[in-house]
Amino acid sequence: MSDDNNKQDLKPQGIKGYLLPAVVVAFSFAVIYTVVVAIPNLPSLKSKPSEYAIEYIEKDKDGSIKRDPKTGKPVPNQAGRGRAIYSREGCFYCHSQFVRPQDRDFGSRVHAGDYANETPNVLGTSRTGPDLSNEGGKLPDEWHIAHLKDPRFYTPGSIMPSFSFLSDEELKDLVAYLQTLGRKRFDDPANRHIYEAYFPEADEAFWKASEHHKPNVDSAAAANAGAGIYRQNCAVCHGLNGLGNGPNALAMAKKPANFSDPKYKKYSNETWYWRVAEGVPGTRMPRWKLKLEPQQMWYLVAFLKTLPQDEKPIIEPYQSIDSAAWQSQSALPAGIVSNYEKLSAGAAKSSTGGSANAH
Amino acid sequence: MLSAIVWLVIGMGAGLLGALEFSFPDLTKGVAQLSFTRLRPAHVNTVAFGWLSMANVGACLYIIPALCKTKLFSEKLANFSCYLWNIAIGLGFITLANGYTEGREYAEYREPIDILIVIALGSVSYNLFRTLLTRKVKKLYVSVWYIMGAFFWMPIIFIVGNRTFVAMDGLNDGILNWFYGHNILGMWFTVLGVGIAYYMLPKMSGKPIWSHSLSMFGFWTIAFFYAPTGTHHLLQSPVPEWLKALAVIFSAALVIPVISVLVNFYMTMKGSWWMLTTNMPIRFVLTGAFWYLITCIQGPFQATRGINWYIHFTQWVVGHAHAALLGTFTFFVIGALYYGIQRITGKRIYSVRLVKWHYWLLLIGFTLFFLALTIAGLQQSVGWALGYPVAQWSLTLMPMWLVRSIGGTLMFFSSCLFAYNIYMTLREQPISSALEIKVAVPIEGDSN
Repeated sequence: MSDDNNKQDLKPQGIKGYLLPAVVVAFSFAVIYTVVVAIPNLPSLKSKPSEYAIEYIEKDKDGSIKRDPKTGKPVPNQAGRGRAIYSREGCFYCHSQFVRPQDRDFGSRVHAGDYANETPNVLGTSRTGPDLSNEGGKLPDEWHIAHLKDPRFYTPGSIMPSFSFLSDEELKDLVAYLQTLGRKRFDDPANRHIYEAYFPEADEAFWKASEHHKPNVDSAAAANAGAGIYRQNCAVCHGLNGLGNGPNALAMAKKPANFSDPKYKKYSNETWYWRVAEGVPGTRMPRWKLKLEPQQMWYLVAFLKTLPQDEKPIIEPYQSIDSAAWQSQSALPAGIVSNYEKLSAGAAKSSTGGSANAH
Repeated sequence: MLSAIVWLVIGMGAGLLGALEFSFPDLTKGVAQLSFTRLRPAHVNTVAFGWLSMANVGACLYIIPALCKTKLFSEKLANFSCYLWNIAIGLGFITLANGYTEGREYAEYREPIDILIVIALGSVSYNLFRTLLTRKVKKLYVSVWYIMGAFFWMPIIFIVGNRTFVAMDGLNDGILNWFYGHNILGMWFTVLGVGIAYYMLPKMSGKPIWSHSLSMFGFWTIAFFYAPTGTHHLLQSPVPEWLKALAVIFSAALVIPVISVLVNFYMTMKGSWWMLTTNMPIRFVLTGAFWYLITCIQGPFQATRGINWYIHFTQWVVGHAHAALLGTFTFFVIGALYYGIQRITGKRIYSVRLVKWHYWLLLIGFTLFFLALTIAGLQQSVGWALGYPVAQWSLTLMPMWLVRSIGGTLMFFSSCLFAYNIYMTLREQPISSALEIKVAVPIEGDSN
């Protein structure tokens, strides 16, 4: 091009000056066409729902899509409403939803068609928290709701924000959505071995077995049995009376729970059971389901339920490992109302009536 | 452009609060609008569209007429775009904080705001292309190519990327999301930022650009290679293999335009490096060029399968994204802003000391921030690679979150100083009429 740049009119350039811009235009359109039109319409890439794809739309019994009479749009089902909340609250900024080939502990692989019913996508690009592709069915609904409201109470050290500002209805929808994730992959017998390889015990069968072995956890007999299991396994950290003051506790950075705290009254049977079975990640609390039988854990739950006090937690100094001192401490400190003893006393009375476990 | 600074402060404030919530998760418990997941889209969109885009557009509205030796096609239209853009960002911030989101990363604004932005963007593009048609010089300088390229691509990318206009199902939505998400970085911020730097460096150092043909080579290679790279965000997902291969190859090839741009920058500065010590705008631009080197060497390598396998899903990527948008393009445009504000208003900058404070706080804050995120990312990669449950190692990241918050605080305060400095500059009396001013008043001071 000429060096006298100044005061050149545009017209004398002719067609030559437009050649390069024309190439840009053509190339850019080619790229955009490829991405927007060609790729989604290629038969091999067309979003076909796979057998694992989740339905998010309400359907009538005959299989037809239910539509809103006013707008004509399909009505989302509960999982669909939950998905909208998941997307709205930006859960996908920290939780991905695709299992990579190299990932362990997140269950079976995902397939392109699994996402066919989803828009906007919630694949996610960052894992500040765990992957949720196969989250459904691992934990009870009430655990999810309680965890969403107060994450650090259930997972110490978590940095997940609290979603206590969501209404109860919204939380239920959200949890319904979470429980659908990966459920179809899980139910597929072809994927079963993957679960068994990664979770030798944490599958649904385990939970079903747990229900099956469930004794009457409100009974004194169960609590009595639990007390023995507690002394053998738990007392060394949690203390003989569940005050979180066992001898091991002295050296722990994260102190064991003090069960006399009234907040534990909020725990349901299932939450107690889950906590005992799964342990507390990031602490010394083990996953007891690796060692105890479901029935033993239910007995433990029956005992643990008796420990919370009505008003404030009891704080006692750490117990000594010295055997003589240990024995002297085994009795309850004066002034503590023990629900367990009341329960035992009640059971003793009723057993004279003839039915030990009646409740 | 000035309103951009306000958005910078607000956007960074939102980012800082979000960062603090990593250290103190219960900081804003119970307040929906201030929870991390609401702050994050508000922060990203306000900083990207409110601060960086607006500041870049402001710089372009000055640079293009200057390089074409003509007047802007329509001042009125430009003002209209500015007001519209501000309204859109303001509404966007409020709606995102209240949970009205499209739920796609970088494209969270809801339909009405998308439409406002498209109108504003379209009018700016129209304005600049009309300006270009009435130019008084024949040969287009490389900055013009870069900037006009950006204004050509961005409206298209924005329309394609937002669900308002194009909606798809399933994985295709994810692919489209990252086509958009990566191309607003590549075909908007990068191209604008590099174009501005190509204008600033020769202008301030008073030397011609080292190689015009090399700069054009950089432009055409970036135009050729950038578009399909977005899928490298989904490398281990069930996206078709050929699309992934395309993304990896083209991402790795981006090292070519990067090297050509940087060689050109550094060779242009050869013999003028002393200006770094006295000229503040040039110091900002060259620091940006330094971060450009880091982030753009990271980029092509990160996109390869082997490294992506390890790095993906971690905070490393967050550090990388900030190094591009904050470290590079924010530094470029701040340099342009300090330079332009004196040229346009004919006023001397209020306080050179504040400029220096701004520079050092921003640089130190950002360096801390970047290192903390990179180290946190490496820690996380170990966790994911070995398959440990998150809760077992998440606490080890706590020091990193804290360092990041400290870096963020420094940057936030530096931006407040910046806003104050510019505000006070605008209140000063001009030293001469803007039109008469021929020679730029460099912001000079003692070296430190």
